[in-house]
Amino acid sequence: MNYQPSLPEHNDNVSHQHPVREFIILVSGVLAIVFMGYWALGLFVDVAVDYLSPEQEAQLQTKINIDWDWGEDVMPETQAKLQSLVDSLQPCVPLPYPITVNLVRPSENPDMINALAFPGGKMVVFAGLLDAVQSTNGLMFILAHELGHFKNRDHLRALGRGIVLSILTLLIFGGDSDFLAATINQRTANYSQSRESQADQTALNALQCHFGHVGGATELFESLQSQEGESDLGFAHYFSTHPELQQRIDNLQRLAQERGYSQDKTQELMQH
Amino acid sequence: MDSLTIFLILLALGFVFGKLAEGRHYRSILAREEMLLRLPATSCKKPMGKTLPVGHAELVHGHVVISVDYFKQLLASLRNFFGGTIQSYETLLDRARREAVLRLKESCPTANEILNLRIETSSISKGNSGDRVGSVEVLAYGTAIYYREVSSQHSGL
Ligand SMILES: [Zn+2]
Repeated sequence: MNYQPSLPEHNDNVSHQHPVREFIILVSGVLAIVFMGYWALGLFVDVAVDYLSPEQEAQLQTKINIDWDWGEDVMPETQAKLQSLVDSLQPCVPLPYPITVNLVRPSENPDMINALAFPGGKMVVFAGLLDAVQSTNGLMFILAHELGHFKNRDHLRALGRGIVLSILTLLIFGGDSDFLAATINQRTANYSQSRESQADQTALNALQCHFGHVGGATELFESLQSQEGESDLGFAHYFSTHPELQQRIDNLQRLAQERGYSQDKTQELMQH
Repeated sequence: MDSLTIFLILLALGFVFGKLAEGRHYRSILAREEMLLRLPATSCKKPMGKTLPVGHAELVHGHVVISVDYFKQLLASLRNFFGGTIQSYETLLDRARREAVLRLKESCPTANEILNLRIETSSISKGNSGDRVGSVEVLAYGTAIYYREVSSQHSGL
């Protein structure tokens, strides 16, 4: 037997597949699993939230006490008036826990037109909204819309999904608390289009119940729409969380027609 | 999002520098393997071919430690999740094994033959599972033999 020194023609001990390709396949696999997990857990949150009894919901609301830092109290008298408006809607949108209204004017975006429903029964109204609506009816519609979010437990859904998302990001990226807080804040303010139209529906019914007609329901949306072309003022945010103004106006009109709600004269807005 | 940025930078650096280092290493391995082809290294226990009187024999060894880059490490940990062959470590071990044998041969350039070649691998890792540095050590050892009468025919088989 003779030893024949030779070099191998091929290197059979290494794979010749491109590593970037493998990387992309594996990463998309992981992402797919994460998204499926988020979707499934989100679905679970929705089902679980629907199962809560009003007593359990009230209990949960009092337990959640997040100290949102919105800066100084601006216009306490106007805030008290808003609070009484919200309280007057209570018979039309019954909730098992009290709602506290916070009127805010964020210094970085003072003209922001928005209102938000937060866990713990906290409703945040941005002062820019009061400048944008023309009548008490229009304002009441927005307040009732936010009450609708409370009634439909949308804030709990958003909170639950926010927690799920936070846990997933925590698992993937490790503990980055700033990022966590940001996702919770962001998710809490974001509702899907179907949840928005459901809150609109609740608000329309509440207007009919409170005033006996639904005049002024689409007032804010219409005025936002006419401003749309002018410039990107503070209401850009309202567009992002509250989609498709024209569609919402159409939906409200159709709904009012279906239910035979009339649109009478609106009341002049209180001075602030 | 800072941690994500750092992660992506590490990933890109690992990929680019890992690829450059690997290409350079393979070029060096191929050239030196060609040069040292005249010195046979086998796992046989006895010299092959006609028996010549052995002048002396000695234990020779070569070893190398190679670190894995961040990209390959991530690829391997993703593989841990799904299972399958860890292809990203294949070139690492292939290079380490060949480099160790080359170093062994380079340590005894005048030997006639290397017998009983053995190769061993062990992993060297430091730190806890979070930021572990994955490195591999390959040790090659064998018996170099020198024939008493060194003829003009260099590899005297
Ligand atoms: Zn809304």
